[in-house]
Amino acid sequence: MSHAPHSPLPVGHYAYDEVDRTFLKQRVAQFRDQVERRISGALTEEEFKPLRLMNGLYLQLHAYMLRVAIPYGILNSGQMRALAQIAQRYDRDYGHFTTRQNIQFNWIRLEDTPDILALLADADMHAIQTSGNCIRNVTADQFAGAAADEVLDPRVHAEILRQWSTLHPEFTFLPRKFKIAISGSPQDRVAARFHDIGLMARNGENGRPVFEVYVGGGLGRTPIVGVKLRDDLPEEDLIAYLEAILRVYNEFGRRDNIYKARIKILVQALGVDEFRDRVNAEFVAMDRARYRLDERIVAAIRARFGVPDFDPAGQAAEKLAQQRKADRAFDFWVRTNTHAHKQPGYVSVTISCKPAGGIPGDVTSSQMNLLADLADQLSFGELRITHLQNVVLGHVRQDKLYGLWQTLEQNGLGTANVGFITDIVACPGLDYCALANARSIPIAQKLSERFASPDLQREIGPLRLNISGCINACGHHHAGHIGILGVDKRGEEAFQITLGGAADQDTVSIGQIIGAAMSEDETVDAIARIIDTYLARRTAGEQFIETCRRLGTAPFKDAAYATA
Amino acid sequence: MDRRNNRRDAEGSSVITANRLLDGRIVWLAADGEWSPFIRHAHVYSNADIEDALKQQIASAQDNELVGVYGVQVTVTASGPVPITSRERIRAGGPSVHPDFTPEWQEHPAVSPA
Ligand code: HEM
Ligand code: SF4
Repeated sequence: MSHAPHSPLPVGHYAYDEVDRTFLKQRVAQFRDQVERRISGALTEEEFKPLRLMNGLYLQLHAYMLRVAIPYGILNSGQMRALAQIAQRYDRDYGHFTTRQNIQFNWIRLEDTPDILALLADADMHAIQTSGNCIRNVTADQFAGAAADEVLDPRVHAEILRQWSTLHPEFTFLPRKFKIAISGSPQDRVAARFHDIGLMARNGENGRPVFEVYVGGGLGRTPIVGVKLRDDLPEEDLIAYLEAILRVYNEFGRRDNIYKARIKILVQALGVDEFRDRVNAEFVAMDRARYRLDERIVAAIRARFGVPDFDPAGQAAEKLAQQRKADRAFDFWVRTNTHAHKQPGYVSVTISCKPAGGIPGDVTSSQMNLLADLADQLSFGELRITHLQNVVLGHVRQDKLYGLWQTLEQNGLGTANVGFITDIVACPGLDYCALANARSIPIAQKLSERFASPDLQREIGPLRLNISGCINACGHHHAGHIGILGVDKRGEEAFQITLGGAADQDTVSIGQIIGAAMSEDETVDAIARIIDTYLARRTAGEQFIETCRRLGTAPFKDAAYATA
Repeated sequence: MDRRNNRRDAEGSSVITANRLLDGRIVWLAADGEWSPFIRHAHVYSNADIEDALKQQIASAQDNELVGVYGVQVTVTASGPVPITSRERIRAGGPSVHPDFTPEWQEHPAVSPA
């Protein structure tokens, strides 16, 4: 079989070839057989559970949940339409974009799953490595291949890591799940220090890329900021070095206690120096030639990614400037929801999936189809899912923005709130999740309504508000400037507030719990008082997180627990 | 199944629940031995008696095409049994954020004749 894709190449996306497609078809056939054997009773639930989890199928509160992989968050329009079709035909007409740049469907039937996986395979998609103690979907910067501040396109290396890690025989049964994130810009847009391995790329002295390597970060029960193992790992050693890290983890990571099994616990137990020594010992003993990531390999992978054929900038910037002047609401949206592009005349657009009072990350099938159409018309057929549960069109000409915004407005997708208090991250919580203590979505909706006023949000300025329904922290609550954690008080839901977390700035920090849990409504009121305190006490131009760091949590705690 | 959800007081009463194997949907064990999507049909056991019934149902889960059989403590009200935990109330009623997705929700609503 030849290992060469058919043209034209999908923009921003690795082109599958017949080898990849045959593999996926075989996986679907294998799972179809497993489902049949489960239904006939030939496989027990205990035998079947690991098999379904390997295909992204969980049993949640109300039904099965299917988690579909979106490698490094990139979709083409055809894939988005395939997701819309699944939502419409096999689910209840919507899907939920997650903080790991994947999508979850909440109402899946076991019987339908082989057909759904076949539909995904036809669109070069799957649900492999979305569960289990393997290397999970590698996440990447949502402005990859577009951002003005980018050093290299991290998707190429994310794809290399995907190929290296998929079905890697040594790494299918790690002590616990393993999450890697990669950023191609000096600005950390991937929460690199909250991952098992976080990579930040920059150009080295010889013009070849080097990576800063962070290890042992994570959220969950034991939130830890990752530590730096290497400052300047050459590209050619990327695979060898990561392999060495994983070998050390595989050998010494704990398998006796699920709560102590992540690599972060190993790094803390050994200390970073001892951990680094062991990785280096493994690294020097390896057959480095075998793992060498040759420039030609990188070039070959890069060649499988389509690149946009940009139009000359022309008068695009001038036209945009006029339109912004003429329409104030549009101007505000441009300010919050666009990001500087390296190509003159273009920008990247973040489409907010957080309308006032809406469910963060939930998108209906008709919205998915609309997004696919817009991607075809305006962004070379390419879409990205962000780890903050929004959707990005990477390459939009500046003179097309006004029309785009108007269409989005008409379809509930035009909210100008990216980076503001209502751009809330929330996990599915107790409305869907079998592990939850409390519901995440209703409190997100109440807060989103409470702060819906665009003027108020702009007044408050940049603020990250993250909500998890339990200590597993899928909603990244510790990484929020304000975090909310759902707890269980003898069968009733309650919420704790954390303050001072940050994932995306020079100072990464873990939010601290400020006090006892409260009811949903009390928590919403407490957060409103925290915001009032910030507005009253900030200095000119000071952002919430900065005021929080300057004053410490005490004044906010007093406000939160003050009763009228 | 998470043991936390299968906790019962010595006193009190409970119902038996599971997820259907084929579609994952939640069902409740009725007095006639059938499994109903509606908790109002559920047979209420006293906590003293439920263990035997549970054991039997867990043993026959495969034959009944069920997974995750366990007991849920309830308060008995005029409109039927109501679970004491928020988790089980959400299981019984559907996600609170989609009021239309109650257990009555049908996958394939009857098509009206042309
Ligand atoms: C509804 C089904 C889900 C289940 C059963 C589940 C389960 C878990 C568990 C057990 C952990 C803790 C792992 C550990 O600390 O070792 C975890 C962490 C995490 N999950 Fe989920 N999760 C679910 C949904 C989601 C969703 C919807 C997202 C994205 C919004 C997500 C993203 C994450 C992230 C980012 C973490 C924390 C980061 C880390 O691994 O340290 N999960 N999840
Ligand atoms: S944080 Fe807890 S409640 Fe939320 S999705 Fe993760 S496991 Fe479920």
